[in-house]
Amino acid sequence: MFGLKLTAPAGILLAALLLVPTVLTVLYSVHDVPANGRSLGPFVGLENYTIVLSSNVFWRSAWVTSLFSIGFVIFSTLIGLAMAILLNQRFVGRGLARAMLIIPWATPWLVIGILWKWYADGSVGGLNAILLKLGIISDYHDFLSDPNSALALTVVAAVWRQASFAGILLLAGLQTLPDDLNEAASLDGANLWQRFTNITIPWLRPALITVTVLNIIYAFLQFDVIFAMTQGGPGDATQVLSILIYRQLFGVTQIGLGSALAVILGVIALVGGLLTVKILYRAERTHG
Amino acid sequence: MANIALDKPRSRKRATSFAASGGRPRSLTASIVIYASVALFALWVLLPVWYLVVSSLITPAQLGIKPFPIVPSSITFDNYWSVLTGDTGSKGFGSTDVGSRLLPAIGQSFFVSSVLVILNLLIAGHAAYGLSRYPFSGSRLFELSIIISRVIPAIAIIGPFFVAFRVMGILNTPWALIISYNVFTLPLAIMILKNYFDQLPREIEEAAKIDGASRMQTLWIIIVPIAKPGLVAAGVLIFLEGWSEFFYSLVLTNQLTVPPLLAGFQSVQQFNWNSLAAATVMSMIPPVVLVIIFQRHVVGALTAGAVK
Repeated sequence: MFGLKLTAPAGILLAALLLVPTVLTVLYSVHDVPANGRSLGPFVGLENYTIVLSSNVFWRSAWVTSLFSIGFVIFSTLIGLAMAILLNQRFVGRGLARAMLIIPWATPWLVIGILWKWYADGSVGGLNAILLKLGIISDYHDFLSDPNSALALTVVAAVWRQASFAGILLLAGLQTLPDDLNEAASLDGANLWQRFTNITIPWLRPALITVTVLNIIYAFLQFDVIFAMTQGGPGDATQVLSILIYRQLFGVTQIGLGSALAVILGVIALVGGLLTVKILYRAERTHG
Repeated sequence: MANIALDKPRSRKRATSFAASGGRPRSLTASIVIYASVALFALWVLLPVWYLVVSSLITPAQLGIKPFPIVPSSITFDNYWSVLTGDTGSKGFGSTDVGSRLLPAIGQSFFVSSVLVILNLLIAGHAAYGLSRYPFSGSRLFELSIIISRVIPAIAIIGPFFVAFRVMGILNTPWALIISYNVFTLPLAIMILKNYFDQLPREIEEAAKIDGASRMQTLWIIIVPIAKPGLVAAGVLIFLEGWSEFFYSLVLTNQLTVPPLLAGFQSVQQFNWNSLAAATVMSMIPPVVLVIIFQRHVVGALTAGAVK
């Protein structure tokens, strides 16, 4: 019982701060809550959910969220893996490079949004200057007010941070990989690619699963970067679900609808995370 | 045949020891590929940061030049001066309000993050130690629910917080943030510390028990000193979370801490990017410095906290 006594304060605190508000939000989602939020209002059953699920705005936002998440998860994980492998090689200045890897991760999400918003700016941005000098573009382009590139840029900004996070975790995994394993394989005639697919990847699989699952959750719940860069615009080009919910709750104060949306988002993040765990673990089992 | 096969590795091994850094010998092509990739990596990480720093050190007139002066001809600290003192003069944003609020916001961010670190180390430390050493029925379920709590969107629970804090009269105070941030820092701290305690040898505690120390004494006198690296790492990560948090602070306060203040800058008419860049650089310094100092500790804890 000593263990329970030690854990009780944390348990009570988390129950009060997490469980109670979650239950309340679920309750809100089945009521027509007045805008002042003082009472629950009349019980409406699943009406809020039917309204949400039959609205184009929701499906459009879910689509944007999916696009953002797919780009975010794939590029964060792959770039992170590439950086981890690179920083695991021997080269002059490796310590410095590893310290550099930490900078994007240590930067607050909101600051990343602000930084990239201005970096990509159409008149004073640095990205335009660089692309212009490289001859990739012929004139300044306002990427964030162009619906075709705004979402892609929010993905790049978020990936800039999250690839570092993935890189840090995967590098830590690589550092525990015994050198002998690669040595032995190369003596047996395994080339670089064979060593990569037969040694590095299986060794990193647990870390890769963790990173991918965390990235999926981060992707669905991302708010700060998009809020700072575009606030969901131009139009609804970058209006992911978290931004849509924010607008429902604090813009038009539709508490019931917003809560239903929030519950849906939580379920999506949970299901997405669990499904990934399941799929990746099954892949691991079939790989032996 | 067998002899030849055995010979080969030995000769390879010898060649290895001649390589400058003690690793496998590398071809010139491989070296070129690696250094080119390192350069690419450095550009990917540093270019945006460089852009930010340069923006904070040049005048609005210099910023207006196309293309952006990647290497500026001259630098100035005026932007820093103006955001720190709120003295916008004729060179800054329309609202002196935003500028003069930066220093107090930095102070509030430090206060919120520091109190959060102390509270979390105490509460999570006890819980993690209990979970690690004295598991009880339901402790696995507790750990599992902590992990799952990560998928609860902040936006799904902010409403009830807002209402409760309004009733308590602590909206727009640091306490609203210190309380609500526990939602994500406490699970993180418990996971990191439990993992750390799991790795500590139990023999020391058994010896203490034989010497007649109570379980609480053992925790405070024996465990806390040897768990210091884990506590430091957890502390740094909690501080970072507190320092970086934007959403709760946006909703529950009127730009009390640094992130919502920076976001507010952007919606002020007639402000300039130079001043915002200076404020942004200052907001990045504490977390980046802290993490680079405690690099080793933090990476270890991050790995543990993420995997578990």
